[in-house]
Order: sequence, then C-alpha cells, then structure tokens
Amino acid sequence: MLMPNARLTATIAATFLLSSPALGQDEPETADMPSTADRPDHQESARQHEGTSPPDLEIPPLPAGMTLDEVFDYADSEPPAHFPDPVPDDQLFAFVLFDQLEYRVTDDDQPDQLGWEIQGWAGGDLNRFWWKTEGESVFDGPNEGESETDLLYSRLIAPFWNVQTGVQYANEWNPDEYDDRWSYVLALQGMAPFQFELDHSLYVSEDGDVTFSVEGEYDLRITQRLVFQPRAGLAFAAQDIPERNIGSGMTGADLDLRLRYEVKREFAPYIGVRYHFLTGETEDIAAAAGDRTEQWYALAGFRFAF
Amino acid sequence: MTDKLPPSRPKAITRRQFLVATSASAAASYMLLNRPAWAVTSDMARAGDFGELDATAGDGIDLYLENRDLLIGGQPGQAIAINGSIPGPVIRMTEGKDALIRVHNRLPEATSIHWHGILLPFDMDGVPGISFAGIAAGETFTYRFPVRQNGSYWYHSHSGFQEQRGHYGQLIIDPAKPDPVDYDVEYSVVLSDWTFENPHTVFRNLKTIEGYYNFQRPTLANLDDQMQATGMTLGEVIEKRLSWQRMRMDPTDIADVTGATYTFLMNGKTADENPTFIAEPGQRVRLRIVNASAQTFYDIRIPGVPMTVVQADGQDTKPVETDEFRIAVAETYDVVVTMPDDKAYTLFAEAMDRSGFTRGTLAPREDMSAAIPEQRRRPMLTMADMGMMMKGGMEGMKDMKGMDHASMEKQMPHPTGDELPTENLVNRIEHGPDKHGPSSITMAQSAYRRLDYPGAGLGDDGWRVLTYSQLRALERPPLRRPPTREFDLHLTGNMHKFIWGFDGKKWSESDVIRFQYGERLRINMINDTMMSHPIHLHGMWMDLYAGGNLDTNPRKHTVNVQPSELLTVDITADAPGQWAFHCHLLYHMEAGMFRTVAVVRSLEGGSIDADA
Repeated sequence: MLMPNARLTATIAATFLLSSPALGQDEPETADMPSTADRPDHQESARQHEGTSPPDLEIPPLPAGMTLDEVFDYADSEPPAHFPDPVPDDQLFAFVLFDQLEYRVTDDDQPDQLGWEIQGWAGGDLNRFWWKTEGESVFDGPNEGESETDLLYSRLIAPFWNVQTGVQYANEWNPDEYDDRWSYVLALQGMAPFQFELDHSLYVSEDGDVTFSVEGEYDLRITQRLVFQPRAGLAFAAQDIPERNIGSGMTGADLDLRLRYEVKREFAPYIGVRYHFLTGETEDIAAAAGDRTEQWYALAGFRFAF
Repeated sequence: MTDKLPPSRPKAITRRQFLVATSASAAASYMLLNRPAWAVTSDMARAGDFGELDATAGDGIDLYLENRDLLIGGQPGQAIAINGSIPGPVIRMTEGKDALIRVHNRLPEATSIHWHGILLPFDMDGVPGISFAGIAAGETFTYRFPVRQNGSYWYHSHSGFQEQRGHYGQLIIDPAKPDPVDYDVEYSVVLSDWTFENPHTVFRNLKTIEGYYNFQRPTLANLDDQMQATGMTLGEVIEKRLSWQRMRMDPTDIADVTGATYTFLMNGKTADENPTFIAEPGQRVRLRIVNASAQTFYDIRIPGVPMTVVQADGQDTKPVETDEFRIAVAETYDVVVTMPDDKAYTLFAEAMDRSGFTRGTLAPREDMSAAIPEQRRRPMLTMADMGMMMKGGMEGMKDMKGMDHASMEKQMPHPTGDELPTENLVNRIEHGPDKHGPSSITMAQSAYRRLDYPGAGLGDDGWRVLTYSQLRALERPPLRRPPTREFDLHLTGNMHKFIWGFDGKKWSESDVIRFQYGERLRINMINDTMMSHPIHLHGMWMDLYAGGNLDTNPRKHTVNVQPSELLTVDITADAPGQWAFHCHLLYHMEAGMFRTVAVVRSLEGGSIDADA
C-alpha cells in the first residue's frame, strides 16, 4: 500500500502530467526562405489575375451538341440538381466502444463488482453526438451501485481535441435509497503529446455543486496485439457536498492496470487490477463514518467495439 | 486461361466472336448469381481470366458490368466483373480514330467508367456528379470520343468504392506513328489490391479506429529489431520513439490499409497463382504496368534482370535503366526487359509497407518459377518526412544538390501576368503557421523538393531505384510555355481521425478551383501530411517539374507527392468544362481529398461552391 504522502505526491504529479494538453502545435523554426504563409491559394491567385484574356488555342473536341460558350457557361455553373455528389465525404458514422466491461473481485470480504465504462458517438468528422456511461454495481451482495451517463455535443476544435458540452445523469442506489441528479458538463477530450488519451470533465450539478474529473490512459504495445494499459481517474470537488459525503479538494482516485489481447481490433479480453482510494476531507468523512477509504480489486473483462 | 496478351500486336476481335463470348459469360454469370449460397465453389470461375477488345475498330465494344462471385486466390469473393472478369478486358484503341464503348450496367446500383489519363470532352470523362449523372442500374451509357494520344493507361469506376471490388482494367492506345519503343512481345500487368471485407466496412474501420490495419507498429517486442536495423542503442531507439510519441505520430503509418485485409493481385491473381509471361531468351519484353490498387503502392523489380523504363503515364520517356521502381496508385509505367536466358525470373511487386506482395514469372515456358525474394523490413518514416533539416546539414545539403544561388533567393509567386521561371525552382519553402484547422495535422517544418528521393524503404539495397528526377520526356510535348499564374495547394489530413482534404477542407466544404481557358498555370503542391498522395488531374496533362526544362520535363496524369514534398506541376488549361482533381488513394478520395476544377472563360467574379 502507498503511504498517504507518497500517494498524494504521485497523484499530484499524475494530475499535472495528464492535465497539460498542448492545444497548439510546434512552431516552426524561422529561416531565410519563402514561407507558406505569404503564398497565394487558388482563390487569391485567381483574384490577382482577373481581367486577363486567354490566348488563342485550338479548340479541343467538345461535348456533342455544345458550343464553346455553352461549355464555359456550364463550367461556371453549379452542377445539375440530379447529379450525385462525386464523393460521399460528409457521411455520418456511429461507433460504440465498451472500453471496460469487467468483473472486479475484492481482496477481502467486500462484495465483488460488475463495472463498465462505455462510450459512443454518432456524427461526422467535426460535429458529433457523444455519450459516455460508467458505473458499477455490487454483484454478490446487496443491490447497490452507481452510474454516471453523459450526453454531449462534441466538436473537434483542434486536430487532437474535442470540446464537449451537455448534461450528465448520475444515480446511486442501495436497498433503502435511490439518489439521482442532473449536472451540466463541459469536457475536453483528446490525445495529449506522448499519446496519452485524456478526458477532462467539469460538472455543475443542479444544486450548484462544482466537481471536476480527469481520466488518462496510455497504451503500451508489448506486441502487435498485446497491450498494457495504465490508467488513472482522479476526482475533485470545489466545495463540500455533505449529502454526497464529499469534502472540497481532491476526493479520490482509481489507478488501474490492464493487460489486453486484441484478438481483433474490436475485441480484446483483458485482466487487470484497480486500486481505489479516497483522499483529503472526503477520506476523513468516510473514515469518521467507519467506511472503507481504499480498496484493491483484481479484474477481468472484455473490451469491444462495434 | 489467358492472363497474357498475344505477342506484339493486338489481335482484332471480330464483333461476332465478341458477341458469342459476352453472351456466354452473361449466361454463366446469371447462373452463378442465382445459385444458392451454399453451393460449392469448385466450378466457380477464377479472377484473372480477361480478354482484349478494340474500341476503335468496327462499331465499338460492349462492356457488361455485373456482380459476380469469383475465386480470388482460391477464395470466393463478391466482385464487380467487367465482361465476366476482374480485371476487366484490356481495351485497345488506335490513336487518331474514334472510340466507341457501350457500358451496360447490370449492377443493382449506379456505376461509371473513367478513362484514366485520357484527353476527351468533359461529358465523356465518367465522373458521376461532375461529368455526368452516372449510369443508373439497368441502363446503358455510350462513350464516344476521338483518341488524341497513345500509350498505356487504364480505366476504372468513379462511383463509390466499386474500384476496390475489381471494377478496373487496362487501356492501351497504339500510336498512329511508328512506336519509338522496340519490343518483341508485350504483356499487360495490372496490379491491384483486393479485400474480402465490404469496402464500406474498411472505410468505417479507418474512420473509427486509428491504425486499424497496421500490425507493424512500434512495440516492446520489436525494440531489439529496430536496434539491429538501425544500429542505434536501446536508449537511442527509445528516445526516437518518444519523440514520435510526443508528436502523437506513428512512424510506421506507411499504409492505411494493409496486408491485414488485402490480398495483393497481379492480373487478378495472387503470388501463389503465379501469372506467367512467356518470352524466349533474347526477346525484348514490354511490360505495361498499371497500379489499379485502391490504396497500395508497389515496389517492382525483377531480380537478375534490369528494366528499361520507356513510358510513364502513357508518355514516352527517354529510356532509363533501373533495377526497381515504386509505382504509386494510378500511375502506369512501361518497361522493356530482355530475357537473359532460358530460365524463369520473378516479377516481384512488394507492397510499400511490406505487409505483403504479389508476383508473376517471366519464363520461356508455362509452369516455371524462380525464387521469390525475401520481403524487406517495413520502413519507418524519418524526420526528413517532416521537412526537418538534419543537424549538421547533411540532409539539407543533399536536398540543395543542384540548386543554384538564384533559387536561394526568395521566390515569391508572381501576382502579375509575368512569366514564371521554369528551371531551378525554389527548393524549400518554410511552413508558416498552420491555418488549416482541426482537419489538418501539420508536423512539417518545411516543404522541399524530393525528386531524388526514391521513397520510404527504398534506395539502400545496393541496386538502382528510379526517381522522378530521372524521368525525361522523349520529345518536347506541345503547348508548353512558361506559366503566368501560380498558386499553392496544401495536401492536408488528420491521420488521427482519417480526415483528408486540400487546404484543410474536404470536397463538400470547398469551392471550385478555376483555371482560365488557355492559361498556363502552375500548381505548387505542398504535402503537409506524413503520407504519400498520388494526385490525379482529369482532362489535362500535368507537366511535372522533374528538374529538367520545358523540353524535357515529363507529362503525367498522376503525380505522387511524398511526405513534406514540394512538388510543382504546370498545366495548359486547354480543356473547357468541369473536371475532377483528387488524391487517387480511394479511401482518401472518398473522405474528401477531392476538388472540382472548372476550366472557365474568365477568372472574374468569385468561385462557386463545389457542393451546391
């Protein structure tokens, strides 16, 4: 087990590392040579040339029944309405990734869990409807669990980054109680330098509570199909939220290691471990109530997409 | 089984013979299509059994397009057959005559045939949405145009992903004047790639999962391999890999679609099926090689036999002897080889990313074969592919070779009607800030001439490899003069999201590129991406700046632009109408790396939206 201090240092380091997406790209070195910035594209070039008259040229064969003037008129018009698009480049696609669908076994007498993290999108290259859902429910104990589902509009704003906004529905349940809430979501999802996949989300609940989470993962390819994936998910709160047993500051984290085998790109069984813990005031609140503040899990599941 | 052409000259096929042949194949395919799916494949026809038709003889030819199950490398595949086969028949024409082709669409969907590299009226060019509406299911469309050129070309569908399913064939135009190329026998060599997956699925895989088909990525397991290949220490290899990871780029991203799904074909046959080209010792064999692939670049060589390149893209070139050349998608090369002796030789065509190969055999008799060369290690991109000047200037100096002081000065595109220089063009252009938005990942620091560069993975084998800088027109082509207008065109893409375009835009987001009728125009293509793109202009030649001059630079219908390359073409805008201009990698084109070009009376006023 990590000591609290080492744990805190590690999580702060991870947060710093994961939360520094470089949105811009590297600036080129300046040198004494022409720059693409100063050169015309086809519209500028055409504008600069307005008014010049074409030289005489032997007229090539034209479409049957058309004069040269008619061909020029055609060339300068929009295509006839019944023409299809030459390339279907604005097709919409839909994609679903079950990133985690796993059984989590505890190392003590705590109940086992069924856990999932799924996301999907539908849309074009830049604009998409994006949804994410994650949660867990106790498998061999009382019927209890929690889930969070984000429904988002997503826009590619930089080559590697999507900005996403929408709502989250979150719920928690046990045999005696069912709690749920809606929140507003603002997220930044994408790939950071060194190929870390990152997802940052800021939530404002219907009660005005502000929380933030960041998840990062990295695929280390051992072979073409065997992939080792460290993953960290950190949660923060901007204020105390007594009804959710949350204190302000960093509230907790999941640190995961998974090893998957890509039978196909879309299908990979995996095994792994998770270390879940609470920190700061949230940890104190749980400890005071006699609840557990950390838990190890061994896990196995499937990652699949369609 | 005729995977070879008759020796030397085309055999005229009479209309009667042809009608008999086509009705037989139509009947056969009708029976095939109506057979239950569980029927055994033993009597299913094999791909690669294609004939030859003359479209300028008699009263024209008929092409029948249909869905047909064919054995591809022994496995049943759902192909689009032309007159029963993939590839389709070799179509011959004679320069100076009129071609007449009736295309009968027996597919359940619209189709088209584009005559690749052929000068013709725009309504005969066969691009649905630009030249015409396409050929609806069940309809017949008649192509008729005067043949004004000669050489080796090809034809293919311009509708959706049909090309991936076998809708292509070779087109050979015999010259009106005596052929400058001397040969005894000639053969068609149609290279292609085949997948048993639905091409729409392939496209979706590319759009949804990055690197879907790349199983040659950097891994822990191949660290040692990379150390041995490069002579670097473990630390250096890791440092190099981290520098690529920092940029979020994969140096093994050589091909989007690979041997993981592709079966590589030569004349419709796999390496195991070994298409054979018969030639006697001492005979000069002309190989008319076309790359009809959807995505695959091939590296071609005949171990033990040097090749003399005599044509590129159907245009006679000054003969140049080489041992290997890379053929980009949609290019054609004619090479002449002399059979050294009474032995078999392998015509080896290796996919650029080394994920597979196909081959044929040059032999004096059937059923012979020679050793198949070992596949080489897959190449990796280097910093030179990002336009970086190497420390110490080694790479930079190499680039500057043959560059004089005039070109070191800032050459700016000319805004006036002045004539532009035609020799010693600027060698390197620095990348300004990237203005191309989220659809473009530009890692390149500069774009530079790479005419001497044979391409990733070539040039270090101890034998000669052809480069564009060696291509010279045999004779000065007509209509050449210095250009008076120029613009830059950036080849852009987001490899991470599989978005492709020009200047950061897809076709549907773009406006029409206008050429003024009669003008001589220069396009400087700047490849901002880390992949090679074969760029094809319909209806007009592109005069490739290959380091020569107005007399000697070659004409091309398709030019391959390598990563970070600055490649210049000059065009005489002599073909009024609307034309397609695009990357010929099928999945890049369908993703939007495509433009409508309009050759108009005047450039006054604004351009119209392409997707109106």
